[in-house]
Amino acid sequence: MMVLPTRHSIWGKWRCGVLGAAFALLISPMVSAAETTPEKVSFVNDVVPVLTKAGCNMGTCHAKAGGGQNGFQLSLLGFEAAEDYESIVRESRGRRLFPPVPKESLLLLKAAAETPHGGGVRLPKDSEGYELIRRWISQGAAYRPEADPDLQSIEVQSDRSLINMGQQQQLKAIATFSDGSQRDVTSFALFESNSEAMAEVSADGLVKIHDIPGRVAIMLRYQDKSAVFTAAVPLGASVGDLPAPKNFVDELVFANLTEIGIPPSPVCDDATFMRRISLDLAGRLPTAEEAKAFLASTEPNKRDQLIDRLLRSPGYADFFANKWTSLLKNRRDDASDITSNFAFHAWIRDSLLENLPYDQMVRQLLAATGTVVANPPVAWYKRVKEPKEQLEDVAQLFLGVRLQCAQCHHHPFERWSQDDYYSLSAFFSQIGRKPSDTRGEDLIFHKRGIAAATNVKTGVALKPAALGDDVGAIPADRDPRLRLADWLAKPDNPFFAKALVNRYWKHFFKRGLIEPEDDIRDTNPPSNPELLAALEAHFIESGYDLKALVRVITQSKAYQLSALPNEYNLVDEQNYSRYYPRRMQAEVMLDAVNDLTASPTNFANLPPGTRAVGLPDNSYNNSSLFLRVFGRPDNSSVCECERVQSSSLAQSLHLINSAEIKTKLSAAQGRAATLVSADVPPEEKIREIYLVAFSREPDPNEMEIALDYLQQIPTDAAGNPLGADQAARQNFQDLIWAIMNSKEFLFNH
Amino acid sequence: MSDNHWTVVPRLLLLLLAAAAWPSVLAAQSVCLPAPRLLTTMPMGGKAGTTVDVTITGEHLEDLDELRFSHPKIQATQKLAADGTPLANQYAVTIAPDCPEGIHEARIMTRLGISSSRVFSVGALKETSSTTPNTQLETAMPLEVNSVCNGKMTSKAVDFYTVAAKQGERLIISCAAQGIDSKLKPVLIVADEQGNDLRVERRGGAIDFMPEADGQYVIKVHDLTFSGGPYHFYRLAVQQIPAEAVAPQFAATRNVNAFSWPPANWNDDQIASEQEPNNTAEQVQQITLPCDISGSFYPAADVDAFEFTAKKGDVWWVEVASERLGLPTDPSIVVQRVQGTGDEAALVDVVELTDIPSPIKVSSNGYSYDGPCYNAGSADINGKVDIPEDGVYRLQLTDLFGGTRNDPRNVYRLIIRQAQPDFAVVGWALHMNLRNGDRNALSKPIALRGGATMAMEVIAIRRDGFAGPIELAVDNLPPGVSASGLTIPAGKSRGILLFTAEENAPRGLTSANFVGKAEINGVAVTRNGSMASMAWPVTNAWSEIPSPRLLADFPVSVGGAEVAPLSIAAAQDQVWEVTAGQTLTIPLVHTRRCEFSGPSMSLKTFGHGFEGNAAFDLKLTEDSSEATLDLAKLKPAPGTYTIAFYGSAVAKYSEHPNAVAVAEVALQLAQKEAAEAAKPLTTDEPTTDEEKQAAEAAAKEAAARQKAATAAVAAAEKELQAATKKGAPKDIVDIVVSKPIEIRVVPAVEVTQK
Repeated sequence: MMVLPTRHSIWGKWRCGVLGAAFALLISPMVSAAETTPEKVSFVNDVVPVLTKAGCNMGTCHAKAGGGQNGFQLSLLGFEAAEDYESIVRESRGRRLFPPVPKESLLLLKAAAETPHGGGVRLPKDSEGYELIRRWISQGAAYRPEADPDLQSIEVQSDRSLINMGQQQQLKAIATFSDGSQRDVTSFALFESNSEAMAEVSADGLVKIHDIPGRVAIMLRYQDKSAVFTAAVPLGASVGDLPAPKNFVDELVFANLTEIGIPPSPVCDDATFMRRISLDLAGRLPTAEEAKAFLASTEPNKRDQLIDRLLRSPGYADFFANKWTSLLKNRRDDASDITSNFAFHAWIRDSLLENLPYDQMVRQLLAATGTVVANPPVAWYKRVKEPKEQLEDVAQLFLGVRLQCAQCHHHPFERWSQDDYYSLSAFFSQIGRKPSDTRGEDLIFHKRGIAAATNVKTGVALKPAALGDDVGAIPADRDPRLRLADWLAKPDNPFFAKALVNRYWKHFFKRGLIEPEDDIRDTNPPSNPELLAALEAHFIESGYDLKALVRVITQSKAYQLSALPNEYNLVDEQNYSRYYPRRMQAEVMLDAVNDLTASPTNFANLPPGTRAVGLPDNSYNNSSLFLRVFGRPDNSSVCECERVQSSSLAQSLHLINSAEIKTKLSAAQGRAATLVSADVPPEEKIREIYLVAFSREPDPNEMEIALDYLQQIPTDAAGNPLGADQAARQNFQDLIWAIMNSKEFLFNH
Repeated sequence: MSDNHWTVVPRLLLLLLAAAAWPSVLAAQSVCLPAPRLLTTMPMGGKAGTTVDVTITGEHLEDLDELRFSHPKIQATQKLAADGTPLANQYAVTIAPDCPEGIHEARIMTRLGISSSRVFSVGALKETSSTTPNTQLETAMPLEVNSVCNGKMTSKAVDFYTVAAKQGERLIISCAAQGIDSKLKPVLIVADEQGNDLRVERRGGAIDFMPEADGQYVIKVHDLTFSGGPYHFYRLAVQQIPAEAVAPQFAATRNVNAFSWPPANWNDDQIASEQEPNNTAEQVQQITLPCDISGSFYPAADVDAFEFTAKKGDVWWVEVASERLGLPTDPSIVVQRVQGTGDEAALVDVVELTDIPSPIKVSSNGYSYDGPCYNAGSADINGKVDIPEDGVYRLQLTDLFGGTRNDPRNVYRLIIRQAQPDFAVVGWALHMNLRNGDRNALSKPIALRGGATMAMEVIAIRRDGFAGPIELAVDNLPPGVSASGLTIPAGKSRGILLFTAEENAPRGLTSANFVGKAEINGVAVTRNGSMASMAWPVTNAWSEIPSPRLLADFPVSVGGAEVAPLSIAAAQDQVWEVTAGQTLTIPLVHTRRCEFSGPSMSLKTFGHGFEGNAAFDLKLTEDSSEATLDLAKLKPAPGTYTIAFYGSAVAKYSEHPNAVAVAEVALQLAQKEAAEAAKPLTTDEPTTDEEKQAAEAAAKEAAARQKAATAAVAAAEKELQAATKKGAPKDIVDIVVSKPIEIRVVPAVEVTQK
């Protein structure tokens, strides 16, 4: 069963860390908060942060949905202080506090585990947190003392931002309040590293840098505010002579490499480039003829010409349509879905072919009306029916913002509140549906009325607002989705272009400038902010021209670096000092195998010769073990992570020994059979195989091995030598099989 | 048996053979008796002023007669082989030079009567047909500019064409498919010479293409889901037009709901144009009522705002036509009162006008039939505005489907008028639930069997508050056929039209006229009615979306070869008189002409005032029964009524049993010829070389004749077997309607006075 990351799982690890960190805090000497804590203790500014740091209000403890633990419910991470105050002070007839003898309060007895407590010791009696709560109770357990200021901001302080490998750095958390006062809240802030492999951070803010160069971010959170500390971790090597920059991408990638001292690998050779760009742009191997012609060409700008040729080709549209249809959930759940699925896939494919500006594509999708056949983007509303799903998908896919958490509570690591969630949902509140002739398929139209959505917690009806941005009043006659589309395409939209360029960068470089690519937030900074900003600006200035974006990325020397590491950059996984090799994705690999064996796969309802990257929906996964084994997604998530790119034993076995591969190798019209009967020297035949598989000719050693193998006379099961024809066929099948199972074939590199 | 008979038999055999070639015929239908259906013509049209060889296919096409067209300027004659025998299903169709261009309809007269129709297009361009496979780039068929190619899509394939085009030459590449009854959802692609796609059109429109360089271009056609087969036909046109010209479009059949447009006696005399920009309060277009405006929903998210003054108590009727023009639009209007002026102006909603709802429930595509698959309603508008106060009013017109669409072809017509009460009527063959899970949506030509009564469902769309009763009538019927219109009562929208053929009605065919009649404001008006049919016999609307459309004409026929399995009629042909509040018992006679499955059938009642009559059973094993109408419960007002009883029965139906006799005769003939061929040659022993050679040649010839004769016997045996199988009784459920019955309800007081 495929397990998709849930909105909470990413932070599960963090929570475990918090538990341990909280415990560490309690037994470690207090830093300096005591002298910074005011005399009058505030429930909001003092007690809640203590509970948060101690882990009491985590989703797995007293903030668990549906009653917390044993009837004691706290809000998640203390976002609802007033409710928590009610629970602690008033609920259960106030039995949790005992003001006459504060230390006998149930709250403290449980926290210190002086009475049986499922969570164990959260606040030892000698801890600062314990003392703070005791004082608060003794002072009368007020919600807020008089003139209690509001938290305005949180800031992380550090002596430096460039930290060498193996070094440590203490961070300090400084809170600024509405009365202008500042407090060192390091003891009560939560810290989290965005890459445990690069750096770990202790509960009291001590950062330990490991041995991977690059940029690492440490997030800290206090109350509902967060801040980020970004450290550059240099390798410190000399970068030497860098390739001459082709465009701003190179300038910014190489500037970063220079700053952290990682020398890049050299620019790759023509054969590698041709294979790489064909796979990345059109999802296919170059043909032997294309490879030969490209290698022979002496045109100085032949790489740029190839990029342009591929961008004009239907293969580009097919390959990227394959990417988008999956994210846009083009699922076949019923046989009758076929028309809408084909239409929707084709709309995406045709839009990419004609290079419809991205903002227009999204606009046509978001504000789709009518029938699927007359207006195919309507099909998205067939799959994504509820406003909740619509806003969450739109936010994650087009804005790179994961808003799911904010449906039920304030987003723990972001500024998004439930009001933000429902205000965005309001854009989708006026979608009207009428049944169409096709069962299960509605006509979509704008239902006249003032758009609004109700915050289920407060009961307040909210007008449409786009992640905090006021979009103005929307008259009843206007489709609010059009206003949302207007907002998306505004040049100063902080998410829309950024999310797309980051997603496309990841497509070509394996790793997004922000990772994961659809989790853009202040607390998850990019590894190269200047580059991300430049790409974003370029994309907006180009009029959201997807081909121009692809062109500027792929024409860069940074994209064309060799995948082979030099003596320094093997450790680099985020600075793009080399091309990070990737296993071909399921569809591309199936097509590649088909091309190599010259034995196409036939798909239901599609003409012979249809390539796997051109498949319109997920239904073909059912009939193709190959596609399933290699992780083709089922189009049920907007997350690219639904595609499984990890390796498995099943994949190896499938390539080595499956009936499907054997059939392809031995096909009557297949490459092995054709080569056997071709009247050309064996060297030519071997060259053809290498050109198809690797876009290059074999080197002398490879040629010698292959020629030698072809001259072998295999034996049958009884040990008798095979006849010449049969032997030749088997030898060619073996040679193709061996090449197919090589990493050079299976990977884009 | 005359010699002439033996020349006829092979022709009949050919016809039978042609009909049997369609697998759908072989699959026994368990719902609805066989009806003749013309399913394809190849080609699907021709150029005016030419004669075109046309091959037809269809269902239940036996004993074919005239190939008939909806326009008299198209005539057909059967093609003959060199020996004078008819070539099965092949016709020479002559299109007069002055035949109007556009859509016409073809039908074929069969032993069962007239077939369903198939579109036949007439144009001005040269016509070709794709006859050899062209599903590869290498086998692409060259097309001339300014020509139409008739093609048939292969399943899971792409059809390839090439065209030589010049730089800067504007070409319109279009494909007629669904508008000419095809099942193809066409995808049109223009590609470069290597087949790399350049432009794609998937929504049934045309590609307006200006080549960047001289050269060969590839045109690809395929189905959206790569479906194919003989029913996926298309007409592909490549036309060169001037840069500024309006792109030509193929004519297409009209949707059912188009019957209610335009209003009667409507013309373009007072037409005005929408003046863009008129989207905002500042740009609003001033109009004076009444008015008739043409405009378009362009550009995307277009709002057309009009302002007018009106007086309290005024009533204005607003009608918009756009979807009924065949466009994928959904017009919506809001009328608001403007309070105040300038920046202070406030808008108060007066009324919101949207769809014209179907007057009856349309099929929900549920488990069983729950309404017709025909929708007389529309996304267009026909509504009323009551003016509440003297003042200025703003009318905003938008397309609910137009938020992101930039297509100036999406036009509309907006009429604001004072009440002009009127109506429009449309009819279609009745469907009803015939068995569990029945979702059949068949095309049903009016091909009557002797003794049968066929029901059409008629729907009225009423305009501007007209609520009076509407009488339905048909004239120009074949001999032996009568039609009874069951009135659409006041305030209602559904009526029934019954066609009854006498048991001995002769084979006949006429083009009938269907009208609705009413008294409007004291004036008798007659409106021509429209007829609709399914383009295809859809046996299960769950798996195939039915495609209903309006018909160009309305032929009514009697086949003359078969009689209905069951006729139900009142025992006496009289007006049945009954006093209001009393019970009327009508003796019924059943004429049964075959066996039935089940002992009885349940009958309900058609006819205004009597539809509430409780269902009653009729024994299928007896020849008479009684229908009882309790007027105390039904409470019809005194007057004259036409009613009929209807239900469904499962007949043990034998299809074309005469074909068995024909096949038997053909077999005997073949056997006789085989016996002749098997006789030894009685020649003298050859002596010379010449004689030996002649003898050898004769022996060879005799052997060949014998072989052919043996094969002919085998074929005849197979044919007999097929005819026997087809003629074996099968259970088929169909609608059974009684002959209409006249009833006069006499007021109770009238009796008392007597």
